[in-house]
Amino acid sequence: MLAVTTLESTPQDTAVEADLLASQSVEWLVCVANDRDRLAFEKLYEHFAPKVKSYLQRQGADPATADDLAQETMAQVWRKATQYEASRAAPGAWIFRIARNLRIDRLRRQRFHEVDLTETAEIADDGMDSHTRSTDRIDASRLPAMVRELPAEQFEVIQLAYFEGMTQSEIGERLELPLGTVKSRMRLAFGKLRAAIGEQS
Amino acid sequence: MSICHHPDESTLMAYSAGALTEGFNLVVAAHLDPCPQCRQKVAEAEALGGELLGVLPAAQMSADGLDRVWDLIDREPADSDAVVLPSAAQVESRYDLPGVLKAYLPQGLSGVHWRTVVPGIRQYVFRDIDSGSGTVRLLSIAPGTSIPQHTHCGSELTLVLRGSYGDEIGRFRSGDMADLDDSVKHQPVADTDETCICLIATDDRLKFSDMFSRLLQPLVGI
Repeated sequence: MLAVTTLESTPQDTAVEADLLASQSVEWLVCVANDRDRLAFEKLYEHFAPKVKSYLQRQGADPATADDLAQETMAQVWRKATQYEASRAAPGAWIFRIARNLRIDRLRRQRFHEVDLTETAEIADDGMDSHTRSTDRIDASRLPAMVRELPAEQFEVIQLAYFEGMTQSEIGERLELPLGTVKSRMRLAFGKLRAAIGEQS
Repeated sequence: MSICHHPDESTLMAYSAGALTEGFNLVVAAHLDPCPQCRQKVAEAEALGGELLGVLPAAQMSADGLDRVWDLIDREPADSDAVVLPSAAQVESRYDLPGVLKAYLPQGLSGVHWRTVVPGIRQYVFRDIDSGSGTVRLLSIAPGTSIPQHTHCGSELTLVLRGSYGDEIGRFRSGDMADLDDSVKHQPVADTDETCICLIATDDRLKFSDMFSRLLQPLVGI
């Protein structure tokens, strides 16, 4: 028996749109970095500023503060654009990192301790380290499908961490789950993420 | 250096999400410094962050939002406060002191103002780092000395900076991290002739197993 075909053409369209947008965002960001292209920057702003504002509101910022911080995030996108490496991260991931650091700095008044993830030279005192390489290229093209297909209970935990900035203990309290369950749901989601990206390591 | 013990993947994910306490965030960052494997995982979890940012509904920006961004940029066009991220260049000192710790310990491990807890165990507490109801500390364990057996009310992250220790879980050397939750009971022993120095963050108080150590707890504050 044939599976019932629904008229759900949207996921496919959304996926195509997302692909297009992802490649356009790279172009825009590279134009900002290389040519200080103001028009390209305005495209980035149009797409990302409303998302960043939404992200900051989810983190508890009032609309005015979220607006200010989204503006500040975008100003940093302009300033740091030359540090962006298209081969390492999608523009969304790179902008997410800027917004996340700014949120912790301004909303929590704490410091996000960051290290250079693209560090190439790994030093091994015995010269035998098996992981002597840079961060692998991350192919994000399968992430939209991965996020859509994530089981609801895993997605719930993931979004409380990413959007609300809740620690694992806080998530456990909110959902009335033991810490171990919160951790295992995150681990499962991480496994799916790695599989979608291609298990390069 | 080969690192054998890594943070749990859920910890790396929480780090990427910006969902760790400041103290845990510091200890994870200090492990990432020498660990390319975990750096890769963090980059992957940040890719997920980018994807999730994309699926959020768009909020309405204020009408003059873009103009105000241009104002910000015109006022400060380049990245003047460019954070110099810790580089892998300093080979020797690097494993003793990951780059992220240098801001807190400008004189390195030799300049730490240790406080003796009990003979053989000294500690230094980072006062300005938030770690929930727990703390961030350096612990110095003299050769052969053991920490009284304990469990944790919450989680505990331990990064070995120098020397090594052994416990019920295994052997931890410089760069190794123990990522423990409340289900683990352990008794670490500095197991070489070198003093073992660890960076430890807890998000709640430790629970010591025996009565003597329980009496000690308020005094030592761990």
